[in-house]
Amino acid sequence: MLQRFSLLPVVLLIFSALGVPSVASENRVLRVGIYENAPKVFVSESGRPAGIFVDIIEHIAKGEDWRLRYVPGTWTEGLDRLAKGDIDLMPDVAYTADRAAIYSFHKESVLSSWFQVYARKGSGIRSILDLSGKRIAVLDRSVQQEAFVRLTAGFGIAPTLISLPDYKTIFEIVAAGQADAAITNRFHGVAHAPKHGLEDTAVVFHPSPLFFAAYKSIPEQVLDTLDTYLIDMKSDPGSVYYGSLKRWISGEVHLKLPVWVETLGLILAVVLIMSIAGSVLLKRQVNARTRQLRQINREMEQRITQRTAELAEAVEKARAADRSKSVFLATMSHELRTPLNSIIGFTGIMLQGLAGPLNPEQHKQMSMVQGSARHLMALINDVLDISKIEAGQLTLAITPFDLKASIEKVVKMVSRAAEEKGLDLKLDIAKDLGTANTDQRRVEQVILNLINNAVKFTEKGRVAVSCRMEDGQYRLAVSDTGIGMKPEHLQEIFKPFRQIDTGLTRKYEGTGLGLSICKKIMEMMGGTIEVESRWGLGSTFTIRFPVHSGALQ
Amino acid sequence: MSETLLVIEDNEQNLYLMQYLLEKSGFTVMGARNGRDGIQMALTQKPGAVLLDIQLPEMDGCAVAVELRLHEEMKGIPIIAVTSYAMVGDRQRILASGINGYIEKPIDPETFVEEIRRYF
Repeated sequence: MLQRFSLLPVVLLIFSALGVPSVASENRVLRVGIYENAPKVFVSESGRPAGIFVDIIEHIAKGEDWRLRYVPGTWTEGLDRLAKGDIDLMPDVAYTADRAAIYSFHKESVLSSWFQVYARKGSGIRSILDLSGKRIAVLDRSVQQEAFVRLTAGFGIAPTLISLPDYKTIFEIVAAGQADAAITNRFHGVAHAPKHGLEDTAVVFHPSPLFFAAYKSIPEQVLDTLDTYLIDMKSDPGSVYYGSLKRWISGEVHLKLPVWVETLGLILAVVLIMSIAGSVLLKRQVNARTRQLRQINREMEQRITQRTAELAEAVEKARAADRSKSVFLATMSHELRTPLNSIIGFTGIMLQGLAGPLNPEQHKQMSMVQGSARHLMALINDVLDISKIEAGQLTLAITPFDLKASIEKVVKMVSRAAEEKGLDLKLDIAKDLGTANTDQRRVEQVILNLINNAVKFTEKGRVAVSCRMEDGQYRLAVSDTGIGMKPEHLQEIFKPFRQIDTGLTRKYEGTGLGLSICKKIMEMMGGTIEVESRWGLGSTFTIRFPVHSGALQ
Repeated sequence: MSETLLVIEDNEQNLYLMQYLLEKSGFTVMGARNGRDGIQMALTQKPGAVLLDIQLPEMDGCAVAVELRLHEEMKGIPIIAVTSYAMVGDRQRILASGINGYIEKPIDPETFVEEIRRYF
C-alpha cells in the first residue's frame, strides 16, 4: 500500500510530463497577420487589432483557449510571412488554386465578397470599357488583380495597373489623382471610399469566398476547428459572427447574402415599389376622381338650386299668369256681356212692342238680331267655360234644388225651337226624383246643351227626354231621330274644338266645345256621359250623376 | 203701382234698358252710375228697392250692399243684384253681402219685370 502511495507522485509526474504536449496544444499560440483592410481586418485607432476576421478568430481562440499574437504589416508582407511560417494565419484571403499550393485553407468561408472599381466623383466611369487606358490602383498579388487582368483582357482593353501594398494607399493615390481608379473589395470600398472623396462605379466583378489562409504546415486540427466554429456561428443569428458583421458593416449584412436572395429581394423590392407607386398613383387617381366628383356634385347642387329657383320662379309666374287669366276671364266676361246685354235687352223690348208696334219685316229682322246676339252670348259662355276648365278654375256651386223643375225649365227654353221645326218633344220624368244636391246651374247647362243639340241635328221626328233614378244615381237620356253619327266620330265628340265634319258644318253652327264642357262638368260631379248613335237614325246621349256631389268638393 | 226703384249700373245702355223696362211697368226709377252716388241717393230718396250691378267702378256692388245694410232705414228693403254670371264664388259672395236676389244678365225683357216684382 505504502509503495503504491509512494508511487503516486511519480505516476503523476510521468503523466504530467506526458501531458506537456497536450497542455501546449490547448494553449496553442497562433500568430495572426494584421494589415489594413477595414472593416475585415485592421488596427484600430487605439492600436488594437480589429475587424470581422479579428472578432471571429478571437471568439474561436477564447473557446479553444488559444493564444493569439498579432503581427502587423502590409498585405504583401503578411502573405510572405505566412508562406515562410513566420505567421500561422492570414485573415481575409480569397481562395485560389495558386494560393492553395502555398497555403492551407479551411473549408467554410468566412465571408463572400466581390470587387468593385472606385473612382473620383465625376470620373465618368460607368462600365468596364470606360477603364480603357486608365491607371488602375490595385492590391499587389491579390485575387482581384489577377481577376481584373483576366476581365479587361476579355473585353480587349488593357488598363495600366498600379500595384500597391494596401487599400489605404490605393485610395490615397486615386484621391490624389495619381491613378484614375481603385479596386478594392466591397467591404472596404463601401466603408472607406467616401472618406477619400471617391465613389463606387458600376464595375463590379469576381465574387469570391474569403478565408483565413494558414501556414502550409499548420495542424489540420486548427483548420477543422475553424470550420466547426464558423458553421456553428453562421447557423446562429445571435452569434459573435453576426454581431461582428453588424458592428463593422452595420446595415450591410445583406451583402453576404446569396445572389439569388438579392435578386429575389430586388424583384420583391421592385414589385413592392411598383405596387406602392401603383397604389399611390391609384390613390391619386381616386383622389382626383373624388375631387372631380365633388366638383361635379357641387356643380349639380348649384344647378339644382338654380333650377329649383328657376322652377319656383316659373311656378310663381304661372300662378301670376293664372291670376291674371282669372282676372282677364272675369273682365272679359263682363266686358263682352255688357254690350250684349243691352243688344239682347233692347231687341227684346222692340220685339215685345214696348217701344211701339213693329211691322212683320221689322219683327223678323229684330228676331234675327236677337237670335244672333243669343248665339254670340252662348259662344262667349262656352269659350269662358273651356278657359276655366283648362285653367282648373271651374268649380261647382252646390245647392239643393228640384231636378224635375230644372228639366222642365230647360225643356221649356227649347220648346219653341222644337215646335218651329215640327219636332215632337217628349218628356218622361219619374216622380221620385226628389231634391238634387249639386250645381244646379251646371246641370241645367248640360241638359240644355244635350236638348239643344238634339233639336239642332234633328230635321223630323222626335226628341225624347227621360229621367229616372238608377242605382242611386240620376240617369237622364236625350234621344233623337236625327242624323246620327258614324262610329268613328263617337270618340271625337267629347274632345274640345272637335266638330264632326258632316259636310253640313255651315248649317250647324257652334264652337264644338259644348260636349267637352258637358263631359268635364259630369266628371266634376262624379258622373258620366255616354252616347249611342246610328248614322242616319239618331243618337241617344245619357248622363248619370250622383244625387249628392257635396262629397267631391 | 208707383214704387220707386234705384238702379245702380255703370253702363249707360244697360241702365237705360232697365229704366225703360221698369218705367214701362209703372215704376219710378232713379239711376246712379257708381256705388258712392248710389248710396247717397238711396239714403236721401229712400227707394222701395235697389237694383245694382256687381262689377262697378271704385266700389263694387257687394260693398255697396254691405254699406247700405248698415243704415237702419235700409235694412228692410230688397236689394237685387243684376249681373253677368262670371266667376266662381260670385253668387255666394253676393248673397253673403246682404243682397236678397240675383238676376242674371243678359236680362230677358219678357221676364225681367216679373222677377223684380217677386221681391216685393
